[in-house]
Amino acid sequence: MVLDLWFVFRVLVFPGFTFLFFFTMFCDWVERKIEARMQNRVGPNFTGPAGILQPFADIVKLLTKEDIVPRGAKKTVFKIAPILSFSIIVFALSFLPIDGAAAIPNSSFAGDLIFVMALITIANFFLFLSGWASANPYGDIGAARVLTQFLGYDIPLFLLALAPAFLAGSLTISAIVANQYLPFVLLAPWAFVLFIIALQAELEKDPFDIPHAESEVVGGLETEFCGGKLAFLRLTRDTQIVFGAALVVELFLGGPSGPVFFGLPAFWYFLWFVLKLLAVVVITEYVTCLFARLRIDQVLTANWKVILPLSVLSLTLTIAAATWIYPLVV
Amino acid sequence: MSKLATWARLKSPWVLHFNSGACNACDIEVVALLTPRYDVERFGIKLEPSPRHADVLLTTGAVTKQCAERLKRIYEQMPEPKFVVAIGACACSGGVFKGNYNVMDGVDKIIPVNAYIPGCPPKPEAIIDGIVKLLNSAKEAKPNGKK
Amino acid sequence: MGASLQIQPAHLGKASIQVKADSNRDVLKLLLETDKSAGIVALTGLDMGEKIGLMYHIRTNGAIVTIRTEVPKENPKIPTITDLIQGAQFHEREVADLFGVIFEGHPNPARLVLPDDWPENLYPLRKDAKIDDVTVKTENPKNQAETAQAQSDGDIVNIIIGPQHPALLEPEKFSLKVDGEIVKHVEPRIGYVHRGVEKAAEQRTYLQDVYLVERICGICNACHAACFVETVEKIMGVDVPLRGQYLRTIILELNRLHSHLLLLGHAGLEIGYETLFQYMWRDREPVLNLTELLTGNRIIASAMTIGGVRRDLKETDIPKIKTQLVTLKKKMDFYHQIFESEPSLKMRTKNVGTLSKEDALKLCVVGPVARGSGVAIDVRKDEPYEAYGEIPFNLITRTEGDSWARLMVRLDEVTESINIIDYALDHMPQGPFRIKVPRVVTAGEAINHVEAPRGELFYYVKSNGTAYPERVKVRTPTFANIPSFIKIAEGGNIADVPPSFVSLDPCFSCTDR
Repeated sequence: MVLDLWFVFRVLVFPGFTFLFFFTMFCDWVERKIEARMQNRVGPNFTGPAGILQPFADIVKLLTKEDIVPRGAKKTVFKIAPILSFSIIVFALSFLPIDGAAAIPNSSFAGDLIFVMALITIANFFLFLSGWASANPYGDIGAARVLTQFLGYDIPLFLLALAPAFLAGSLTISAIVANQYLPFVLLAPWAFVLFIIALQAELEKDPFDIPHAESEVVGGLETEFCGGKLAFLRLTRDTQIVFGAALVVELFLGGPSGPVFFGLPAFWYFLWFVLKLLAVVVITEYVTCLFARLRIDQVLTANWKVILPLSVLSLTLTIAAATWIYPLVV
Repeated sequence: MSKLATWARLKSPWVLHFNSGACNACDIEVVALLTPRYDVERFGIKLEPSPRHADVLLTTGAVTKQCAERLKRIYEQMPEPKFVVAIGACACSGGVFKGNYNVMDGVDKIIPVNAYIPGCPPKPEAIIDGIVKLLNSAKEAKPNGKK
Repeated sequence: MGASLQIQPAHLGKASIQVKADSNRDVLKLLLETDKSAGIVALTGLDMGEKIGLMYHIRTNGAIVTIRTEVPKENPKIPTITDLIQGAQFHEREVADLFGVIFEGHPNPARLVLPDDWPENLYPLRKDAKIDDVTVKTENPKNQAETAQAQSDGDIVNIIIGPQHPALLEPEKFSLKVDGEIVKHVEPRIGYVHRGVEKAAEQRTYLQDVYLVERICGICNACHAACFVETVEKIMGVDVPLRGQYLRTIILELNRLHSHLLLLGHAGLEIGYETLFQYMWRDREPVLNLTELLTGNRIIASAMTIGGVRRDLKETDIPKIKTQLVTLKKKMDFYHQIFESEPSLKMRTKNVGTLSKEDALKLCVVGPVARGSGVAIDVRKDEPYEAYGEIPFNLITRTEGDSWARLMVRLDEVTESINIIDYALDHMPQGPFRIKVPRVVTAGEAINHVEAPRGELFYYVKSNGTAYPERVKVRTPTFANIPSFIKIAEGGNIADVPPSFVSLDPCFSCTDR
């Protein structure tokens, strides 16, 4: 095969791996600053201007630390699982249109919405494996909690994602984006609100942040990891947040579309995408700061008794609205 | 490359706090560092729950005999490069409890210490001063252990 | 023992009965017949040369009655009283550990405050104990095996919390037997913060001891100092001038303020509510500023001395203190609203870790733990000390008995403390703030108790006319509350353990001394 320079550039540099890597760190900085301001503090301030290089310093420091593998751990899984989970999420992100097109050119295919969500499930499964392989009781408990929470909330998340799919008439993300003459948040606001709530649980943020509950499970599944592997676990968590926000932008906020003023349309599409994504990150972080942490059984009850029925209701409502009401109005 | 590593280590020191038998005064001053009045997250300092995640071990207390063994294990679980800071008069040399039957008289009887912050308890400003001095000295010298 | 016993509430410490070693149970039974809700305050051991003296301090009808008995040193056996008074379990274990007294029939006579590998037959609080060459191991293979894997037998998994754990500011070990997510049994192993304070107090002069006992606990330091100096003043028959008493009251209430705000913030941290933690501690800083204004130190006040306080209050400082308190009072309304209405907070604390009123009485708990379960005990009301007899304030109780109730009791007590300080500042008497006391403390003994933020703090001091005390016994509120830990955690979720424990406001440096 001929080495297509354009392909390599898009996948590895922009809007592919390198961009996503630095953008994840930027979002991490945004989150830390918001959390600090909500708590009446300043947040990272001295590493780079306004502390913007703080996440980068954290990752570099972790990569330069000694690597310790506990004696009782399952070595291969212990070493590979963190890297795998990070890679899978980045891979999933490369299917989302960022500047008008996805990082992997010509990669969209029918049903790639389901494919992308399945990829995230697999990535979280590798997170579970890393906790399970670490031969530490806190790792076991943390891993079990991640799995329980994730698998539980995957179902309503999927049902809610079907709402914009139905409105667009397709399961392909780029088609959903292209069909949003009016952002779907306006056409199915109930789905949007529920999606954000279910997303808080998927991303393990307060009030659903038990897998990281320091006071109960110490470091959770991350307890035995140090150095480079810990860096990958942290990156996994941060990239997942970016992925979740990106999914919200694609499904509900019109993706990378918006007014083009001058020059290259791709630039403007990219700018609108970034702005919308940051807005979602701000919203989720804001919600995180406002609430305490729920217990695991309360989280599961909330899922099966509240969120799941409401998601079914939301889908029904969307279908009803789309079939009867919107053709008259839109 | 090593300049980048040193920069990263100084800008992102993650701490683990261990109370080896203290009266709590030093500990609450350490926790007060995270609160809005002092806010050490500005310097990139984060309080980590697990010894494996931390770079700096903040110890308080005069090290009771029961805690001595735990302290050693925690120190050994931390990955290199690592630093130990003894906060308070008790951690430096036993403080008011020097000579008591259940007390080891200071952290440096068990593990090597990089910085001593005296006080009973030291004010949070003094603790920050001590940590900053430690980081500055780490710029020149190599931390204990390899590399 | 055919005669009936008449208990008359006498002045603090004066009522004491001397009995023979094997009749301690009978006397107690008689006492319990007259007052069903009598509870044990402390169990003091005393090395009397050939014998070991035991003093059971029992709270009944608002006063403390002391039942004194002795056992010979070569054969220190005495029947247990844990079946009569459940709360006496840990008291007896401590005396067994430190004095070597054997309590026959005790359900769980394991070590309490000394390390597991402490040599047998070496009892530190006996005067003739040779404790200078106890070696310590820094590698304990038994401990390593224990924490390497969570052992499971059948469905029950052993989880160990501590000694290093983010939930606990202090090192202690709790072994939980867990079935799924339900806790079946809790076994606390304390003693990690045991610094041998009671022995050290015998080797330092009285004035040095004031600084020593202050550092038993950095959080309630002023209460320890106040209780100790009050006990010594009782032995000497010294009366502190009124201005000194008012100043002591202000410092004690500032201590209570900072302790309660600290705990409420810490509770936020335990239930994952970081924002509440940051806000509470931000609002606690002005209280530390006020302490620094009055005493020169933020945390460990070092303000008490035998005969009064060390420093006076300047008239110009009074308006400064009052404005700060007004701001703090307004903020407490905001926090009250949060605790009443915030849904996620209530989901984590309501009906979590409930302690019924009967259990509270049986286990002899003290402080906000008791008041949260409807038991109205507070030393400031029961036996007023310092200026509390002259200052009006409300006793806060709640009936729910869950973690939320205990936190609300502390929240409301903050407002009461602010009112007390206000009143004291308005009615501050003029005159000296301390009096000179004789260098040598006369021979004698006395008991005293104060209301620390966590509950009743009890001291017993015996002086033999020399420069050094013969015995200083400290019974801290958390020590009295340990049985409630076990009761509250059993049957609940493992995720409920941190919020329940934090609502009990444990202070292990107090417990272990």
